Amino acid sequence: MYGGGNVFEATKFDNLQSEDPVKLAEFEARIARGEKIEPTDWMPELYRKQLIRMIEQHAHSEIIGALPEGTWITRAPGFRRKMAQMAKVQDEVGHAQLLYSAAETLGKSREQMLTDLINGKSKYSNVFNYPAFTWADSNIISWLIDAGAIVNQMANAKGSYGPYSRALERICAEEAFHLKYGHDAVVHMATGTPKQREMIQAALNRWWPPIMTFFGPSDKMSTHTETLMRWKVKMASNDECRQQFLDMYVPKIWELGLTVPDPKLKKNQETGQWEYTEPDWDEFKRVINGDGPCNAERLAVRRTAEERGAWVRRALLNPKAKYVKPLA
Amino acid sequence: MSLKSLDPRVTRLNLPEGEVPPMEEKPELDQFETYEAFHQKKEGAAHTYVGPVHAPNEDVAFLFAKEQYSRRFPCVGLWIVRTENIQVTPYGNDGENVYDMLRIEEPAERTEQPEPYEIFHLKKRGKAHTHAGRIMATSYLGALQEAKQQFGDKGPIVNVWIAKSKDVLQSAEEDKDMWTTIPEKKYREAIAYKVMDKITKYKEENKPTTAQ
Amino acid sequence: MNEQAIKDLLYKLADDQLILGHRNSEWTGFGPILEEDIAFSSMAQDKIGHSLAFYTLLQELGEAEPDTVAFTRNANQFHNSQLVELPNGEYDFSLIRHFLYDNAEIIRFEMLSQSRYEPIVKVATKLKGEVKYHVLHANTWIKNLGSSTEEAILRLQSALSEALPYALGMFEKSKYEQELIDAGVYAGEEAVKAEWLKRIQAVIEKTELKMPDLESITPKFGGRYGEHTEHLQPLLDEMAEVFKIDPTAEW
Repeated sequence: MYGGGNVFEATKFDNLQSEDPVKLAEFEARIARGEKIEPTDWMPELYRKQLIRMIEQHAHSEIIGALPEGTWITRAPGFRRKMAQMAKVQDEVGHAQLLYSAAETLGKSREQMLTDLINGKSKYSNVFNYPAFTWADSNIISWLIDAGAIVNQMANAKGSYGPYSRALERICAEEAFHLKYGHDAVVHMATGTPKQREMIQAALNRWWPPIMTFFGPSDKMSTHTETLMRWKVKMASNDECRQQFLDMYVPKIWELGLTVPDPKLKKNQETGQWEYTEPDWDEFKRVINGDGPCNAERLAVRRTAEERGAWVRRALLNPKAKYVKPLA
Repeated sequence: MSLKSLDPRVTRLNLPEGEVPPMEEKPELDQFETYEAFHQKKEGAAHTYVGPVHAPNEDVAFLFAKEQYSRRFPCVGLWIVRTENIQVTPYGNDGENVYDMLRIEEPAERTEQPEPYEIFHLKKRGKAHTHAGRIMATSYLGALQEAKQQFGDKGPIVNVWIAKSKDVLQSAEEDKDMWTTIPEKKYREAIAYKVMDKITKYKEENKPTTAQ
Repeated sequence: MNEQAIKDLLYKLADDQLILGHRNSEWTGFGPILEEDIAFSSMAQDKIGHSLAFYTLLQELGEAEPDTVAFTRNANQFHNSQLVELPNGEYDFSLIRHFLYDNAEIIRFEMLSQSRYEPIVKVATKLKGEVKYHVLHANTWIKNLGSSTEEAILRLQSALSEALPYALGMFEKSKYEQELIDAGVYAGEEAVKAEWLKRIQAVIEKTELKMPDLESITPKFGGRYGEHTEHLQPLLDEMAEVFKIDPTAEW
């Protein structure tokens, strides 16, 4: 699972003039031909840096995203839900593994990425700083957060970097299960007993505002953004993703008789665009910078897991080991 | 934690209270070295690259790769190779054959007796390397030369990986039963979830009454 | 064949796996390295899947449906050994428990796949391959960690001492023991235990761990007859928490 450009603070725009013009032209021509870039190819520093940042944040989002739903594994009602919930959370950890590996091919070690996550130096998707109060919250996450993630990831899978595309292809296939499972669980609650309907509506009310910030604020178009789009690093604008998500899922929410807690939400038939109450971007900024309900707990848990597992890793370290970047 | 966690598991972890100093940088190799995994989807199919795992040795790498890369979809075999033991050619452009572009130098070192090497080809950028076959040679470069002779005209080939067969940990014939039940684990497949009936029924029962 | 005897055996098998599966699932997201987190979760899923298979056999014998049986009984109605209900502790304890438990489990599956009770043969034969991976996983880890650093060896050694009395409790005989043996359902707990000892000793001998003197250990019995530690009921409450919100609901 992953949000969109929300955590892309602008990097300083590196001057491409320092790059070798012949190599840069070859690189751009390769992308223009629709070919993928592979790890040992020449690439501009900006491309490398931006991809590392993006893939790393995506990986962090998966590993932290495993926590709010992991909460519900022991409590998941019945065998069917239990096993699916376990498999889903396991997938999120698996996605982190795939993504960290893809980022490693670009030259940043997993050790460094995990250190940066725990010390707050690099970000993860902001939605996971909110708690999953009830089983219904977990279902809403499985359905709608994963739905958002798919919109984003399907776009990114068409990006130019080979290892990231390969990872995303598999991730999207697995997210398709999460989405169906989440929808199935939400449908059961929405069409179930009054208590279940009440729970699912309450969860939707809690999660709608974070969901609307999931893709991040509108992009500021700049030369930087244009370059990243030309290089197929950034594949769709945050607003395009948000619109696509609303288009696909609002009707599915409405058909269950649930209310989306935004009185302004409607599709403008003339423009074909959804209109909605502007999300609270101040809160978004505050939370992403550490002041959300769960930031501290999420990182403390991650850190504790790392620290309590350290003896295992120390014990198995082979003195002759030599780190080589994964190949692809 | 000042706030009681909503997660019963987290409560059981007894997280440290109060402010903690930043974590020390993880030491080098804290996450071990990497191994590359190749899976075989069905009998007779070529082993295909699925991705790396971090592990302390190849036995543990096998345990890890089995669940990370073959917990879904049919699988009958798994190969593990330490990343360091794979030699890689440069990448060619899509549509080209990298064997035609390589000037294969004379190997600096050779073994006395020829030994088997495994050859993997990438047919298109962004796709996965697939096992092309096994050849006998006395060095990696010799293996590359021999591979060009034997498989080089099966172009386009944009990249080649070479590993000594002795560096490839292969799952045993008798281990196949570890994968037999995987296709039955439908609870982790999208197709197991069908809710249209419930939605249709709900809509039927809750039709807005049209004012006449 | 005495149906009560079969049911008793099935409950033991199913309850063990249900509870251990839940305990192991608590590691998801907290494992010592991402790859191990994934592997451990798979095995937890398998365990819960196995319990479902055995509860389904029970249902065919007239017991309530699996969800009811698994998620609405109280601790004193559970037949699992106390070993599986203990809290996870740190990874040392969880690994040692996994090692002690799965090396017994595989023997049960091997025996049951040769059983004269047909329905159980099918299930055991089909699921044996999964348990084989669990054993491979456990033994590989114990061999690796058991001959590594002093720290790791000490940790495993103390976890072993802590877990063994409970592990021996797995072999508590049921009151139908002799009937099951006579009917050729399986060879009985003594036989499982003897084979288990051989297998775990063979692994431990390859490490720097020491096998404690079993004669001096009093097994923690009672689990098979509904006597449990204080840790089981809170876990069962947690497992039933959502169900209890609205017992009439379909989740």
